Amino acid sequence: MTDAPKDATNDRGQPGRQARSTAEWVSFVISLLLVAAVVGMIAVQIPGEHGPPVPTVAQSGPVRAEGGSFFVPVEVANDGDATAQNVQVLATLTQSDGTETIADQVVDFLASGETEKLEFVFDTDPREGELEVTVNGYGVP
Amino acid sequence: MAETRGPWASELVDIVRAASGGLLFGIPLLYTMEVWWIGSYTDPWHMLVVLAVTFVAVTLLNRTSGFRDTKDIRLRDALADSVEALAIALVCVTLVLLLLREITSATPPQEALGKIVYESTPFAIGIALAHHFLRRGRDAGDDEDGDDEDGDDESGSDSQSPRRAGTINATLADVGATSIGAVFVAFNIAPTDEIPMLTAAMPPGWLIGVVAASLLVSYLIVFVAGFSNQEQRHTQEGVLQHPITETFACYVIALVAATFMLWFFQRAAVGDPWNAVLSNVVVLGLPASVGGAAGRLAV
Repeated sequence: MTDAPKDATNDRGQPGRQARSTAEWVSFVISLLLVAAVVGMIAVQIPGEHGPPVPTVAQSGPVRAEGGSFFVPVEVANDGDATAQNVQVLATLTQSDGTETIADQVVDFLASGETEKLEFVFDTDPREGELEVTVNGYGVP
Repeated sequence: MAETRGPWASELVDIVRAASGGLLFGIPLLYTMEVWWIGSYTDPWHMLVVLAVTFVAVTLLNRTSGFRDTKDIRLRDALADSVEALAIALVCVTLVLLLLREITSATPPQEALGKIVYESTPFAIGIALAHHFLRRGRDAGDDEDGDDEDGDDESGSDSQSPRRAGTINATLADVGATSIGAVFVAFNIAPTDEIPMLTAAMPPGWLIGVVAASLLVSYLIVFVAGFSNQEQRHTQEGVLQHPITETFACYVIALVAATFMLWFFQRAAVGDPWNAVLSNVVVLGLPASVGGAAGRLAV
């Protein structure tokens, strides 16, 4: 390792290199460690069996009433190993008189271990009926 | 330029030049949601293949260009610089994705790695082409016919008029070049859905970080990366020719260009909530300021 100067001739106007300086060696070693760490983080995910995506959904908080509408927070999570695409989430509100109101949302991509927060909006109070939130389907990218 | 610096300072400038070249080449794809999505579902084997392909491409480019002032002659130098280019790309892309909140503490590691690896490919290629990018700036590129102008400026002429005219011309050239560069880059991004998507995910106050990053990146590209007439830029006279004032003034121009682009594509209109428009302008202002900085070096 040396701080040797770089010679100043080259047909393109760029000086050619004689030897890497200490600074260049230090940044190279740090870079090598960093790239190795990233490759290592990727590599540790390879072994083992990889199952399908398992998207699940649940109400994540109390119903909120604002401006005559009722907001229901839900969380959809992927407990499986693979990414799910176009995850369709349905919220079905059944009133005491049997009337059903259905709301739906789609999550574009849900990676393994990822959680997305959604809000469903109803005109009637879900607390006075029966609310069911389900994952209705998904695609595999 | 590099000969007057110590080895550590020279290495630091090389790294800044690399990051700047990567940004110039990689910023459009950093604002592309399809790349984020591909990163979301990419399996680990595919990520390793992408890294390997990127490494080979960068090594080939480093044999001819690279990000250093020196030209790589030996294969081992090209290989070593390729490792550095890849590392710089991985770090810079991670920082930009964090800034854009495409990676947060809630992002699963595999998804984050997928996004970083895919976005690093164009960024690393930009690094390998960094020295090729804009190495001949406005003055350096006009050596033959620019000598006379330089001569006028440096001869300490009796009259102040030529110097004042030169200052005004330089300022006007910077304004024009920044506008063209900012519009050139913003034109590709303004009509897409990425801008409202990104702003929607940003908490209050986060935009200040985007503003700071835009100013920093613009300053580094023009005044630190050593792409072209950097030393002359440091010594130019005039209110808008000082590095700090020029950086701020050109950022304002980039914001104006971003606003114009959003209006042009009907993404902003009179009567829209001002805070929503401002958020979109600031988020689009980051690539616009990168384009503006490139424009000042290219024209």
